[in-house]
Amino acid sequence: MALLGTDFRRGLGIRRYPMLVYILAPLTAVVLQAWLPRLLAGHAWFDLPLVVTVYFALVRRDPIQGTLMGSALGLFEDALTHHAIGINGVAKTVVGFLSGSVGVRIDVENRTIRLMLTFLLSILSSAIYIFIYRILLGLDLDWSWLAEAAKAVVNTVIAAVLFQLLDRLQIRE
Amino acid sequence: MESFFVRYRNLVVLLAVLLAQIIGLAMQVRRTDSGHNAFDTKDATGVWLIRLWADALVTPPERLFHGSKMGVWGLWDSYIGLRHTHEQNLELQKTIDRLRLEQAALLEDAKQGQRLQALADFQQKYIYKTLAAQAIGSSGSDQSRVFYIDKGANYKLERDMAVITADGIVGKIREVFPYTAQVLAINDQSSGAGVILETTRIRGILRGNAAGRPQIVGILADQRIQPGEKVLTAGGDQIFPRGLPVGTVEKVVPDPERDSFINVIVKPAAHIDRLDEVLVITSTEPRFSPDQQQDMATSEAVKGAEAATIKEQQKASQIMAERLPGLLDPNLPPEQQPLLDNSNPNPVTHPPVALHPDRFTPGSAPTPTASQEPGVPAGEEKQPGAAPESKPQSTPPTKPQTKPQTKPQAKPAEPAKPPPANPAPVNPGRDR
Repeated sequence: MALLGTDFRRGLGIRRYPMLVYILAPLTAVVLQAWLPRLLAGHAWFDLPLVVTVYFALVRRDPIQGTLMGSALGLFEDALTHHAIGINGVAKTVVGFLSGSVGVRIDVENRTIRLMLTFLLSILSSAIYIFIYRILLGLDLDWSWLAEAAKAVVNTVIAAVLFQLLDRLQIRE
Repeated sequence: MESFFVRYRNLVVLLAVLLAQIIGLAMQVRRTDSGHNAFDTKDATGVWLIRLWADALVTPPERLFHGSKMGVWGLWDSYIGLRHTHEQNLELQKTIDRLRLEQAALLEDAKQGQRLQALADFQQKYIYKTLAAQAIGSSGSDQSRVFYIDKGANYKLERDMAVITADGIVGKIREVFPYTAQVLAINDQSSGAGVILETTRIRGILRGNAAGRPQIVGILADQRIQPGEKVLTAGGDQIFPRGLPVGTVEKVVPDPERDSFINVIVKPAAHIDRLDEVLVITSTEPRFSPDQQQDMATSEAVKGAEAATIKEQQKASQIMAERLPGLLDPNLPPEQQPLLDNSNPNPVTHPPVALHPDRFTPGSAPTPTASQEPGVPAGEEKQPGAAPESKPQSTPPTKPQTKPQTKPQAKPAEPAKPPPANPAPVNPGRDR
């Protein structure tokens, strides 16, 4: 239960970034998520807000920050669709919370672990989305696990590049 | 209590955020008459505001990206690389870069002009008022196939306006913002358009599937449906005008949920996944081309001339009828009747008088109605043409009446039968 408290972050190396990075990175992710599918024949085989949420929740090792960032980005994604606002919000809220919680248990400098975590959280996000859509709201939705798995793979590939890019932007003492 | 919230602050925040979002979700879903859950067709004010803020935040960068066809990142990298690799020829390279940019922009403008020209030609073919717009963004989700166009309430766009291209239908406007509009594509799972197969005349509803392919659902299995058949809009959904191209039948698959039903996968005529310019049907009032307007004006003029001619002819006929003498004038004495007027150059010829009249002689045969009238004895008949209120007169059956109607009786004969006890005059008032 120490994971749910506030004292667990003591003694951990917390990365810090310029404020501009905290603003521009999520905003750029949302804008590109809305714009890039037009260049890819309308297919959105990736989830940039999810990758950004996982990254900042992991490196900041703060479940609350991950929760709030995931919630905000998820709601933002929902607002751009024609679906109810909150489906992606709930999914990414859970993802952000878990990422921040797991960040205190793992070595965030290990790239392989981060990528594996990104893949698993991407699958989890899709599962939560479909669960809310079909079970909680009782709406009709056709979906394919294969497509969700492919989406998770693409997210992992993007994370492999984006994490290194964002690592370079951190404030080094 | 305070230590509890401090100790479990992370979990409390998580539950609070989740609870707020779930409550918000529950308020956006309603149960339909058919028993299924569905999103509200029109967003509440709060939801609409969230969408508006998100759109206001995303749209400017999207416009920027869309305006610069070459891409921001590629342009920046190329500029930096050229500056560092060719320092000695910096000015020359800048000039080259600028010319290349201008050339690229001109080429893009030329291509865009060609596309717009094609759209303008298309506008002249159809009789609907349309507005050209550019697609600038998408929802970013495969589960929500909507895209954004660069025109909104500032161009008086409204919900449920049809969006098409020169090739076929694309979707309909779902949400209108001040400067943008959200378009729901026909390949979304929640879309719906009434369509009809061109040859078999089978009607159905078009919507998207999980893979983003439009399909016609809810139709019975029919062997006549073959790949390649054209699909048109049926016009019954009050959104898409009738007869617009939708696509062609790609294949027929059985409905996984209902037996004896099939789904018809349609290859859309419009390139829904690669849209640049679209047309929004802002009005369904007829708008004709100049040639069509000229044809209509000619038709109206011809119809007007024909109507005037007919009216003049009718008026002339009335004047002629008033001026020409009639065959019988009840107001004139018998001697002055036109038939007895010797001044008439073309007198009416009468049949010759029979030397041996019989019952076949004109005027001597009793009419069936007269012979069947009760109270009339055999051999006596009622004068044909006599009015009921006139006094009955006796007519010898052997003497034909050559001029029964024109020659009045100076002395009426004795009545052959008594008048009815209660005669019913045709117009008693006039008789008085």
